[in-house]
Amino acid sequence: MILDLGDEAKEFGREALRAFDAAGGDELLQQAEAKPDTREALVGPVLAGLGAWELDVRADPDSLEAAAALCRSAGYWALPYPVAERLARPTDLDVDGLIVVADGAPEGTVVGLDNRWAAVTLDGSRSSVMRLSTTGPAFTAALELSAVDSNGAADVALALVLPCWVLLGMLDRAIELTVAHVRLRKQFGQPLSTFQGVQFQLTDAEVERSGLDILAKHALWSSGTADGLDDALALRLSAIEAAEVVFRVCHQLHGAVGFCDETTLSWLSRYSQPLRRLPLGLSATRDYLTSRLGGRALTGLFS
Amino acid sequence: MGQNAKQLRGELRELVNEHVPHDFLGAFTDNPADLEVAQRFCRLLADRGLLCMAWPEEFGGRGASVWQQTVVREEMWAHHEPRGAQYMGVNWVGPIIMRHGTPEQQRKHLPPIARGEVIWCQGFSEPEAGSDLASLRTAARRDGDGWRVSGQKIWTSYATMAQWCFLLARTSKVGEGATQKKQQGLTIFLVPMDDPAIQVRPIRAMLGPHHLNEVFFDDLLVTEADVLGPVDGGWSIVQDVMSFERVGIARYARCERLLHAAPTALGDAWDGLPAELRGRWARMLTHCRRARLLAYRVVSLQSSGRIQPGDAAAYRIAVTKLDQDSAEVLMEIIAAIPRDDAAARYFRAEVEDHWRYSQASTVASGSIEVQRMLLSRAMLAAS
Repeated sequence: MILDLGDEAKEFGREALRAFDAAGGDELLQQAEAKPDTREALVGPVLAGLGAWELDVRADPDSLEAAAALCRSAGYWALPYPVAERLARPTDLDVDGLIVVADGAPEGTVVGLDNRWAAVTLDGSRSSVMRLSTTGPAFTAALELSAVDSNGAADVALALVLPCWVLLGMLDRAIELTVAHVRLRKQFGQPLSTFQGVQFQLTDAEVERSGLDILAKHALWSSGTADGLDDALALRLSAIEAAEVVFRVCHQLHGAVGFCDETTLSWLSRYSQPLRRLPLGLSATRDYLTSRLGGRALTGLFS
Repeated sequence: MGQNAKQLRGELRELVNEHVPHDFLGAFTDNPADLEVAQRFCRLLADRGLLCMAWPEEFGGRGASVWQQTVVREEMWAHHEPRGAQYMGVNWVGPIIMRHGTPEQQRKHLPPIARGEVIWCQGFSEPEAGSDLASLRTAARRDGDGWRVSGQKIWTSYATMAQWCFLLARTSKVGEGATQKKQQGLTIFLVPMDDPAIQVRPIRAMLGPHHLNEVFFDDLLVTEADVLGPVDGGWSIVQDVMSFERVGIARYARCERLLHAAPTALGDAWDGLPAELRGRWARMLTHCRRARLLAYRVVSLQSSGRIQPGDAAAYRIAVTKLDQDSAEVLMEIIAAIPRDDAAARYFRAEVEDHWRYSQASTVASGSIEVQRMLLSRAMLAAS
């Protein structure tokens, strides 16, 4: 039974981690926030150097795994670039990337970038992004769309799954930072990590992260199958829940310093928001999955 | 899992369908006929080579893969464990005796387990030693060539029906000889339950009959041949038992089957459920999948010898919480079924049974607090 990415994909993920670190690490996001129109210049060459745009994500299983590993590494550094959206681009449209949008309120994290974007709704209606209107935090902007066709149903699953891998990378980092913090920070004369109340909160976070890790792989491999969209929505539901638990725990255990911009958690936390809210947040994702399922369960032991 | 696993799953479902009554809720009821069902079913599985299929061939097994064994665990637990208490013999008592027993103990104990003829109970917990198991007080003292055991065990599942007990007792006090820590000085004994020096007192409980008992040992004489592994070296065997128990019960499989069956059981009433409740049902489906995949990861790591305590603990926390969370959702769902709906009567009973039994899932076989301690220790050590 295959339960993990292949060795090549994992090595690619490690290589990406090193490349993002060498390019500036956490400072990339800080620089991009100050000047969003530098995002491409800051990150584009690193991704090109890694060969990200040569991955044939929708046709080649090895590329698919490499893309997932790359997204996870991007999340680890909160890379200020929509790498998942770029990798999820459809093969039959002349665009640079694909954004899954909600009906009626299309948004994307594309402020400061000049790429040609396509958008797709969960039921497969595709559009071209004509221009950005109102902008918001974390590089988000409302998208003005022009309808293209309704042939995008097969594009959706992967375009939902890859951003969950970015979010997973953020959770990896948030927990890693928090474990380091509670080992170092002393209160009442001893490290926070010696308090059972602290230890148990860490396990709440780790169970969520670990569960998301295994579901992300399942949904990745299923993204091109008939179950792809159900599995992607199930993953997304779990990813948002996991993020809620993990960031709550990590903020709590960091204490006030976790809100300060000198702390990486502060950046990870706020830049996780678009991944958690777009195209649909927790309740809307659950409603959508539930109504899609009707009385049919997810494919499993008793299907 | 592959084609073999799929075929095996189909074969097991056919056997359950043919040989287990359609209103079966497990062997542990007040109706002795339910225990007989389990006894017959075990013999049937044994005759077909399915009971101990993952055991090595030299001990009566078929050397099946860990994935085939996983299918057996899933299908049996999903269908209210028609093997009854004998799952323990197959899952861990037998394998532990293979690993630590003498050739004589293997000849004596393994064939009856492989034939589905014997029930074991586990004599670990005591009134003053639950999660802190090494604090147990039941003592075995030397008496000539043998040992005399006195003390009390508690929460001992299936003790009323067991022929043998896998007993952990203190053989050296802390501070005596080389015994420096309380985990030292403990020894495993394989004890026949029909000895008059053993008394079993059932404890009525919400889990149902047979699940909880007290067992009293009053100067029980056991022989040297009944000692499993080294004297004073029982703790390492306990660790082995725990590692087998980590993936012992496929709790997620029953959760998934009941969640899957809910819309059919409710029929037209399903669409009338509050949307929020159906949303919780869908959420539980994702949690079932998560627990199942985490279980597979533990099985895979265990079979390759790369498992770390934290890997199994994360799974155990996820699956035991799933057991309880899904039970709450299912109880709310069946509240929409009219009491006089005969077609859904069995489903209601299954869910109610599932809810009662699930209450113990975060306590039994290593409490969730112990799992959290193991997991946090692994997290903090790894950084």
